[in-house]
This record gives sequence, structure tokens and C-alpha cells, in this order.
Amino acid sequence: MSSAISTEKDRAAADRAGLEPWQFFLLAALGCATAVTFLARGEGPTAIILLSVLMGAAALVGYAALRAVRPLVLPDEERTMIVGQRTRAALEREKLLALRSIKELEFDRAMGRLSEEDFSEMSGRLRARAARLIKELDAGAGYREQIETDLAQRLGARAAEKHVAAPVCAACKTANDHDAKFCKSCGQPLGR
Amino acid sequence: MASLGSALLLATFVVCSYAAVVSVAGARRRSRRLVESGIGAFYLIAALMIAASAVMINAFLTNDYSIKYVVHYSDSVQPLFYKITSYWGGLDGSIMFWVFLLSIFGSIAVYVNRERHRELVPYVIATISVVQMFFLYLMIVHRNPFTTYLRAAPAEGDGLNPLLQNVYMAIHPPSLYTGFVGMTIPFAFGIAALVTGHLDDSWLRAVRRWTMFSWLFLSFGLTLGMIWAYEELGWGGYWAWDPVENAGLLPWFTATAFLHSVMVQERRSMLRVWNVTLVIVTFFLTIFGTFMTRSGVVQSVHAFGDDPVLAKLFTGFMILILVFSFSLVVWRLPLLKARNELDSWLSREAAFMVNNWILLFAALFVLFGTMFPTLSEAVTGERLTVAGAFFNKWMAPVGLVLLLLTGVGPLLAWRRSTIGNLVDSFLWPVAAGVAAWAVSLAFRIPLWPSGLCFALCGLVVGTVVQEFWRGARVRRKNTGTDLLTALVGLVGRNKRRYGGYIVHVGIVLIFFGFAGNAKKLDEQVLLHVGQEAKIGRYTIRNNGIKVSDDGQKQMTTAYLAVFVDGKEIDGLYPARWAYRRHEQEPTTEVAIRRTPAEDLYAVLGGFDLADQSATLQLVVNPLVNWIWVGFGVMALGTGIALLPERSFAFALAKMPAEAVTTTIAMLLLVLVAGARPASAQPGMGGSEDTRSSYYARTPFEKQMQHEIVCTCGACGHQTLAECRKDACSTSHQMRGELAAMIDQGKGHDEIIQAFLAKYGSEEMLGAPVDKGFNRMAWLFPYLIGATSAIAVAFIAVKWTRKSDAEAVAAAPLDATIAGRIDDELRDLD
Repeated sequence: MSSAISTEKDRAAADRAGLEPWQFFLLAALGCATAVTFLARGEGPTAIILLSVLMGAAALVGYAALRAVRPLVLPDEERTMIVGQRTRAALEREKLLALRSIKELEFDRAMGRLSEEDFSEMSGRLRARAARLIKELDAGAGYREQIETDLAQRLGARAAEKHVAAPVCAACKTANDHDAKFCKSCGQPLGR
Repeated sequence: MASLGSALLLATFVVCSYAAVVSVAGARRRSRRLVESGIGAFYLIAALMIAASAVMINAFLTNDYSIKYVVHYSDSVQPLFYKITSYWGGLDGSIMFWVFLLSIFGSIAVYVNRERHRELVPYVIATISVVQMFFLYLMIVHRNPFTTYLRAAPAEGDGLNPLLQNVYMAIHPPSLYTGFVGMTIPFAFGIAALVTGHLDDSWLRAVRRWTMFSWLFLSFGLTLGMIWAYEELGWGGYWAWDPVENAGLLPWFTATAFLHSVMVQERRSMLRVWNVTLVIVTFFLTIFGTFMTRSGVVQSVHAFGDDPVLAKLFTGFMILILVFSFSLVVWRLPLLKARNELDSWLSREAAFMVNNWILLFAALFVLFGTMFPTLSEAVTGERLTVAGAFFNKWMAPVGLVLLLLTGVGPLLAWRRSTIGNLVDSFLWPVAAGVAAWAVSLAFRIPLWPSGLCFALCGLVVGTVVQEFWRGARVRRKNTGTDLLTALVGLVGRNKRRYGGYIVHVGIVLIFFGFAGNAKKLDEQVLLHVGQEAKIGRYTIRNNGIKVSDDGQKQMTTAYLAVFVDGKEIDGLYPARWAYRRHEQEPTTEVAIRRTPAEDLYAVLGGFDLADQSATLQLVVNPLVNWIWVGFGVMALGTGIALLPERSFAFALAKMPAEAVTTTIAMLLLVLVAGARPASAQPGMGGSEDTRSSYYARTPFEKQMQHEIVCTCGACGHQTLAECRKDACSTSHQMRGELAAMIDQGKGHDEIIQAFLAKYGSEEMLGAPVDKGFNRMAWLFPYLIGATSAIAVAFIAVKWTRKSDAEAVAAAPLDATIAGRIDDELRDLD
């Protein structure tokens, strides 16, 4: 198909020009659609729409193919994926959910669906959970180690050799910088 | 074009395998490059399927008769709309459509969750890709929709089956498919959670929306199927427990169970193994349903042909699913262990457990009833029939218990209910139930099952109203606004809960419609011109028969006048349409006069143009429209529950106006779409011979006609009273035999024996005779019921015992953090 060929060309052009590739695919699709309109003159609107849809689909295929292949040839440095670690956003969401659940409990109690002791037990558990999440968020857990390892990678082998664990404050469990002498959260001296 | 289509399918298959392998490799080696490439490949699958679908629709619209599929399901005179819907009109295309939908939904799910559930996404991609590979494999090696004719192509197509040329039928399959396919997404997330071991509640949150969405479309598809059966097949009813209908119902039951039990896991972190199992079973049932309807394992009105190869492939795939997913579950059992405790049987979680038990029982029972003929054929070599009556006998109590739980469940407190709050919360709903029952008594409705159904409807409505009322009152007190604002805010704040209650109201309306069956009237009459027949409060007069033609089909229309109390109130125009190339199977175009209280429903069974006489089936279906309205309410409730979290402010401001317009629009849509009687241009010409149709002369003959089913195999085992197609000579002959036997003065058992002897099998009996292997059919429901009840009780007792052992020591929080939590809570609303 002609559209397939033209999108191939456009892909090459996109790489040379260094522009966002999807722009070229869009342009190519529009160009093809225009060509279709001229080619399919006198064939009724159905044919024109159909051919345009086909062109659009071809452009979409080209773009998706690019999207599948490009990550493979990108430089290695861009590996920033955290597998198995929760991101900050996830923590925030967890916290919000815990708070929501507390709200709901309060509502249930007001509706008379929950006895006082059950409420205090369940909400106590949820509050403890929320508190833990808040602390984690404060300490920035999850990011810290990630940044450390990324830094270590970028600085090369030299930094990686002497890998230093982040000292954790004995009093409040906050993770501190490895050269810190006092905890940044509660001010306790950090015993090394 | 055809070769382009085939090439696209092949390419998709290759890309699928690439996506699966690369994602798993990327996740295991923690390589972002590979995972990203897998995501890209996954989008590419969707793009390729869009292109392939475009090629397919192009072939239909340009009448490309070199492709076999196009020839079989389209012709040049078909309207544009039905040409497009022909895409999923047949087996090959529907498999392709399945993959198309799955690729789109999968891409959306991955796009939405790729940041939030990074660790799950690679495995989600792998799972979905493998499922897609299976269907693509089916297409490539066995059922390629792009197969072409090797020699000269025919000049004209066969045309879509006329029964499918109906607006409801055009949107019914895609909607059902959307529901089916959507269930793959929760399954994929479940598998990903099992593989990665991230089995906390986060994966549930990712799939809850998808399950609700799929559930909505499944319900929509089932409702459309009911409307279609009601309007197009001319059964007089809407649900006949046909295997294909059952196939859609099975995952609906388990998905409903999942939507409920998920709440228990969120609230009490119980039932974690159970929830994973439900997700797997639901997905399995969607595949099983497809297998059942597509492979010819069961007989049905719209089973799509015999295909042993397909049956084998499907069987292999289903075994693979079961073995793989349940080994994963067993492997992860240690991680799934939860702190289970059941404090009291009078608690919400216990109600949920009973609800799950009933729903699962319903699913198993329907599965069993649907598969029993096949089982029995395999064991005893004799094919028999499990017809509607058998299902109704069992499902009526099941449905009523579910309805009862719908009313009772929300009133129970979590953990345990005290006598005090039970009395407090049950007073008004029970009063409403009793009032509804009293009203039903006034209409002389028998207590079982309809009267009870009305009473329970009252109970549920009472419950829901009370929940809204009390909730709004509490909220008004908390926020200090007026009651209406508080009500809207209440729904906006707890969309899932109150959306769920609205869904319950929809369910009540649907049951309300079902209960109307108690007062259903059904008459068959032969009317000459000017003759009149009475049914209920209506009098029907035959004003003559006319024939017209619109190029695609020949339409024979009866002109009936409807009188109430001697006044002419309406005209009914039931018709039969004979499509070109499908003259053998004329479609019945039902005429329906709809009112909120009842439908007057007329089917033109046969006619004689010479003396203008018409054989008519006249049915009065009370309350039937409430079923469709109930679905509208259900959709509204699900829609509210599905609204995104952020839409709160928007919803608060706009909800009432929108809700009202949506409801009105939906009601109008349903009523207007249904209310159009068959239009007909008057014309002359054409003739068709008629046969006397052995309409029942005595109540006894009528009873027998309802007890014996037609064996023609094309009507889905309708009873002799119902199977009235012109083409069906079998039922005609059987009715003749029955009439002869009754004339000889034979009794009920004698006639059954005579039929058994003549046909050599029990196929024509509505339910299996209770002896030998067939006793299984009667015993089995008791068996599953008892076993599962014991299982539930056992688990519950086990959980109750160990409740005290693990008391949580909630550590006292330090004051600053407690303060912050309080602050955030205040800001949250």
C-alpha cells in the first residue's frame, strides 16, 4: 500500500529532523487522506471515509511500531524503572484511601451501623496505618535508595565500590543522608 | 484486500508473542527498555487490529464477494448499518471482533495503569497477549475471516440472517462482547498480582472499575437479548433459558459475586483467596460461554454451528487456563492468608458470604442445567432436554433469596449487629414489605412466588430509601446544609455505595417485572375478517391482511383493531417478513401495545390470503416494561459508581439535572424504540397456503402442549404451544399427534408414554424423567446446594473460633501525627 511506504519514509525523516515522530505520522495521515479525496473523486462519501480510515489505521500502526522498537535502541542510562517499589504517588493514594476509610467509618457510626468499641478498634487500626504512611512520605522512602543507586551508576564504578547505606535514625526511623551527623527530623545524634 | 487482512492477522500474532516474551523478560531482568518495548508492542497490537477491522468493514461496504465471509453474511441490498454489523454477524468475524475489543481495552487498561501499577503491567501485558494469541491462532489456522474463493467469486451475497437484522441484535453482540472481553482485564491483573506476589488490595482497586464496566455491559447485553427475544422471536416472553442466554448469565453471576465480596476484602481484609478465585472463574466462564455457543456442544436457537476442531482447541485452552491460574493460587496461598475472623452471623460480612454462596449456586446450577443434555448424551447416549420449566422451578427461589439479601444486607452492621440496632433499622423496610404484600393481596396475586416477590420488592425499596434518608440526615448534621444538598453530596461522596443502592432499585424493578408473569394471559385464536377475540380486558378484531414488498423482503401484515369497553383505542399490525434468499424462514414481526401496566402482544402465526383469516397468538404481559426501565436505573446507578474520583465537585454541581435528563432520555429511548408497531405499506398480491395449526381446544390440551417440547432443533426447544414457525413441520406434526391422542381419550401418563415410545428418547420432554442417570438432574442441585452450604458454614465456624487470638495492639500515635491526620480528615470532604 502506498500509505505504508510513505509512512516509512516519514519515519526516516522524523529521525533525521529530531522532531516528535507522531507529528510526522499525523501529517502523513492527513496527506494520505487528501490524496484519497482526490483519488476517490466520484466514488461517494463512503469510499472516501473508508480509505481515510484505512490510511489513519496505517499511520497508527507505523507509530505504534516505532513506539515498540524505539525503547530498544535508546541509550542504557534511561533505565529508571523501579520494579517492586512503590512510588510516591502510590503512597499518597494509599494515605488518601486510609483517610477515606476513616471518614466512612465515622459516617457508619453516625448512621448507627457500628458500635463504639468496634469503631475505636477499626479506626485505630486505620489511623495507625495512615500515620505510618505519613511518616514514610515524610522520610521520602522509596526515592532515596533509587536516587542513590542511579547516582552510583552515573558516577561509575568508583562511587559504586564504596556503597554507603543511608543511616536510619534510631529514634524516629527517618532515613538520613549518609554524611549526616544529626537526624534531620528529630535532631537526635546519629550513632554510626 | 483479503491478503492484506490475512497478513495483518499474522503480523498481530507475531507481535503478540513478541509482547508477551519481551514483557516477561523485561520484568524479570528489571530492564526498562524491554518493558517499554513490550508496552509499545501492546499498543501496536491494537493498531494492527484497528487496521484489520478497517479492512474487514471496507470489504463489507464495497461488497467484496471474493471473501467468503462477506458472501455469507451480506448482500448488496442490505442497509449500510447492517453491512457494518455483519462484521460480527458470524463466527469468524466475531472472533476477530473479540480480539479487536480486547486489544483496545487492554491498551486503555495498560495506559491508565502503567505508572500506578508498574510492577504489574508487564505481566498484565503478557497475560492479555497470550489470550489474544489463542484467538488469533484460531483465526489463522482454522477460521480465517479473510478466506477467499479459490475460483470465481459469486456475484451476490447470501445476506445476513433476517433474525439478526434488528437494531437490538445489531448492538446486542458487541455489548455482550464488551462485557465478556472486559472480564479479561481483571483476570490479567489477578494473574499479574499472583505472579509478582503484590497481593495487597492495590490490584483490586485497579480492576474494580473494569469489573463494574464489564458488568454493566454484560447486563446491557443480556437486556438487549431479552428485548430482542421479546420483539423478534415472538415467543411472547423474554427469557427461555436458552444455552446462549445462559452463557451470558454465568459470568454475570460470578462477576456480581465478585463486586460484592470485594467490599469484604476492602473493609475486613477477608476472603482474599476467594476474590482471586472469583476473578479467575469469571474469566473462565466467559471463555466457556464462547466455547459453548460456538462449538455446537449444546443445541440452541442461536448456537453457531457444529465445529469439533474448535471444540478441541477451546477445551485445550480452558484446561490451560484452569491449571495455570489455580497452580498460581496454590503457590501463593501463604501470601493470601489473611486475618480472618467472623464475629457474628448477624453481620454484613456474613450476609455477603451468603450472597456469594447463592450467586455461585445459581451459576453452578445454570451451568449444570445447560450442560446436562450433553452430559447425559455422553453417559447414556440419549439426548434429552432441560427446558425453561426446570430452570424456573429452581431459579425462582434462588432469585427471591437474593432479593431478600438485597434488602437485608445493607441493614446489617459490619462485624456484629445488636438487637437494638436491628429493630431500629428493620422497622420501616419490613413495614414497606408488608404493605407491598397487602397491595398484592388486593390484586388477588398468589403468595408463591409472585406475592412474595412483591413483598420483597417493597422491603428492598424500603431499605434503600431508609439508607438514603438516614445518610442524608447525618450528612446534613455534619455539613449544615439543607436536605437536598446533603443528599446529593452524600451520593457524590460515596459514589460506589449509593450507586450500588440505585442498582438495587433497578434490580427491584426488574423483579417487579418478572413478578408480573403471574398474571400473564396467553391465547391462540383463528380470526376471519370481522371476527373478534377477547383477551383480558381487550377485544381484538381482524380487519384484514395485506401484502407489500420493499425490494428486500415481502411483508404480510394483519390489521387488527383493539377495543376496550367497546371503544376502539388502538391498532395492532403484526406481520411476517419473508426476506429474499431466506424465504424458508420468515421472521415474525410482533406488534406490541405498551403501557406501564401491561403489554398487549400480538404475533401473526399464520394467515390465509384467500379469506383474509389470521391465526394469532395474543399475549397480555403485565408489568413487562418495568424490566427495561429497571435496567435503565441499573445503568444509572453503575454510571454513578463508575464516575471518577475527581468528578466529585462536578458531580455535586450537576448531578441532579443530569440524572433526571438521563433517566428521562433512557425511559423515552426504551419506550419509543419499542412502541413503534410494525410499519406496513398497504399493497396487494402474493399468496401463501395456510395449515390449520392445532391450537389448543381444551385446558388439558394446552397443558400438554406446554409440557412437550418441539424436537426440530431450530427453535431452541420451545414447547409445542410456542413453536409456531411456518417452517417447523415437526412441531406441527407433533401437535397433530397430540390432538389425535387426546381425541382418543388418553390421559396424561399414557400420552407421555406414547411419545416416549414413538421418539425413542426423552428429548421432547421439557424436563428429564426422574429415573436412572437422569435422576442426577434432579439430585444435583440439592447436592451443590448442600455441599457449598456446608463449606461456607465450615469456613465461618473456623473463622469464628480464632477471632480472639489476634487482637490488634494499636500503638498510641504521637500527638503531632494524630493532629495532622485530624487536619487532613477535616480537609478531605
